[in-house]
Amino acid sequence: MRSTFHSIETAKRALFTEQANISTTGHNISNANTPGFSRQRVNLVASRPIEAPGYMRTNIPGQLGTGVEFTSITRVREKFLDDQFRNANRSLGEWSVKADSLSKLETIFNEPSDSGVRTVMDNFWSSWTDLAKDPESITGRKIVRENALALVDAFNETNKHLADLKTDLTTNINTMTSQINSISKSIADLNLEIKRLKAYGDNPNDLMDERDSLVDQLSEMVNVSVVDTDDGYEVSVGGIMLVDGLNAPGTSVAALEAQFNGGGIVGGKIEGLIVSRDQIITDYQSQLDAMVDTLANGEITITLPVGSTYQGTNLTEEQTVTVKGINGLHQLGYLFNTPPATPQQAGDIFVTSDGSATFTAENIRLSQTIVDDPMNIATSMRTEVLNGASETIKGNNTLANLMAGLKDTKFQFSPVASQNGIASGTIDEFYASMIGQLGLQSQEADRQSTNQQDIVTQVDSRRQSVSGVSLDEEMSDLIKYQHAYSAAARFMTAIDETLDKVINGMGVVGR
Amino acid sequence: MALRVTPGMMQSQLMRNINHNLTRMQGQQNELSTGLKLNKPSDDPIGITYSLRYRSELAMNEQYDKNIAQAKSLLEHTDTVLGQVNDVVQRVQELVTQGLNDTNPQSGLDAIATEIKQIYSQMITFGNDQLNGKYIFNGQMTDKQPYDPTAAETSNADTQQINMKFAAGVTVPINITGNEVFGASSDGDNLFQVLKSIQTALTSNNKADLAAASAKLNTRYDKIINVRSEVGARTNRVELIDTRLQDLNYNLTTMQSNVEDADMAETIMKYNQEESIYQASLSTGAKIIQQTLVDYLR
Repeated sequence: MRSTFHSIETAKRALFTEQANISTTGHNISNANTPGFSRQRVNLVASRPIEAPGYMRTNIPGQLGTGVEFTSITRVREKFLDDQFRNANRSLGEWSVKADSLSKLETIFNEPSDSGVRTVMDNFWSSWTDLAKDPESITGRKIVRENALALVDAFNETNKHLADLKTDLTTNINTMTSQINSISKSIADLNLEIKRLKAYGDNPNDLMDERDSLVDQLSEMVNVSVVDTDDGYEVSVGGIMLVDGLNAPGTSVAALEAQFNGGGIVGGKIEGLIVSRDQIITDYQSQLDAMVDTLANGEITITLPVGSTYQGTNLTEEQTVTVKGINGLHQLGYLFNTPPATPQQAGDIFVTSDGSATFTAENIRLSQTIVDDPMNIATSMRTEVLNGASETIKGNNTLANLMAGLKDTKFQFSPVASQNGIASGTIDEFYASMIGQLGLQSQEADRQSTNQQDIVTQVDSRRQSVSGVSLDEEMSDLIKYQHAYSAAARFMTAIDETLDKVINGMGVVGR
Repeated sequence: MALRVTPGMMQSQLMRNINHNLTRMQGQQNELSTGLKLNKPSDDPIGITYSLRYRSELAMNEQYDKNIAQAKSLLEHTDTVLGQVNDVVQRVQELVTQGLNDTNPQSGLDAIATEIKQIYSQMITFGNDQLNGKYIFNGQMTDKQPYDPTAAETSNADTQQINMKFAAGVTVPINITGNEVFGASSDGDNLFQVLKSIQTALTSNNKADLAAASAKLNTRYDKIINVRSEVGARTNRVELIDTRLQDLNYNLTTMQSNVEDADMAETIMKYNQEESIYQASLSTGAKIIQQTLVDYLR
């Protein structure tokens, strides 16, 4: 049997359903620009017809439709694209941080310029040549002293900038770790709410979008793997469980670093930061240290000209000797003396601030005796006994010439520098190769990060293609739903009119 | 299935492309405003190593230029002094020839002897000549007077050479030692010794001694001329090095410019190209973004 008001019910269901459609369209349009939002669709089905199969059915033929109803509202999203996006985003994070650190390194070394380490090195060498012109003068020595001070300052300062950059990176790692933890906490909270709502049979689309968007944010920082369980997302990094369903145990800097060392962290800003700090910058620091140590201490072979006083005797033929760096060479020289005082052998030019035997860019200083009195810079390598007293020959400029010649002398670099690929070469060659390496690395990182940016945009664009709100589409849907709504209303009116006929127009025959 | 295109996609693609164009334009702009295509190592990692080398070679050459100037002035000064020595020795030769003439009375010979005595001290002044406060004939002992004014014939100058660096690995001795000019104290033709002998021979009117001294004077004179031509040769050598250094500087500057400098014509052209591409992307962007179905529905 069918009811009198059956069709009114059918019309009402249609009105409600179309209204749900219109509301969802409105929701989509409102969120057209919300990041991470996926468009939603109302899933319609024809409602159960009356006279469904069963023992109690009547004998009326046919099934009478009862209209429409919606079973769920779901979001349109493809999980595969999410995974792809997160992988690309991870590489982007890593390379963008590396590119950023390397470009900061380029700024620190500031080459090519007229104020970088190369310039102060050149000034240092040429001041020795200048001194060789007038080995007797104090002016030339003062110029050498000032240039040596400038050189030491340049090394100290470069080292300080490198150390500061490392400190900045450490701060960044700390900040990012707390960011990871707070995002993990939010994900766990969302897991709980989503679980609760799902228990009522609902699809918490907007909460799920928010959760995915948070995972997207995590993926830029670190390589996350996500497993969807009954309790919601389980998010882990290498061996660290960031979100364990409803709990967020979180992580610490130490744990992340341990994961990195164990190979558990690949990609992401965290990796970029750790690699920048512990590998890239450390490499340049040790190269710079090796260069400084070699300059002061590295073995060099030099040829002493005839007439030089070497180990107490005046050479009658050229002699080749091996000395330890600029300091070793300087020690072969003699300071000026006034008889009866005997000629003093010169001391070190560079000393370490901490007394260590190894020079670094941090601890190298100009010897205090030279700072106090530039006459402690030696130029002469010849002493003679004149009128019974030993005396340093002031016009001898051998040492100053040899010092200036160090610019083109091959040094033996300590093994640590072999990453640079130069075991023996001039200081200039070493420095140029170091800057060249920096340029190559920076160029590579720039290219990689641009590439990754393109890939991320492309994948995101695929995602937008699937999940993004198209206003054209929503508008045409809106028109469709509006018409359907109007038609349902018209249907309701038609039923109303038929009932009106039955109720008010019947049973008054002949009146 | 055809790709579903959404405004979000179009917008992010547009943004990416506009950004690319802007980045490229900024690169060109940077080249234009600095005039350099090599602003940081990553612009050209290979070029930077060359650039560093050219720059430091140019800096050293600037210093070598100064060395050359100083060497030239020392050599010129030495030449002037040697010219004066030369003139004075010629005068001695004249005087000796005069003295050897039999017709001279003793008073005439004494007068010549007095002039020789003057010349002797004049020679010592030459031997002790200074440039910028440094004795030029005393080898490396530039702070010590080489010739004792009372006994110059027993004095010896320092024989060591002062070397100057004019290029990597090129050192040239730039001084002439007193012994080369005036002779060592042990030499038979030591100029001071010869002058003394001439003076004694004239005072005692000993013609044989005077003739012997005259012969020694002539051998010394030849040596002085030799030394003077050596100074000339060295000046030539330094000038040659100077010319070579200028050529090298020119070459280095050209090579540095090749590595570092932007080709302005090309950069401006590229910049204009980039600019028009950028503007085109902006105007198409403006047209794409605003249109949706909404604009056409009543």
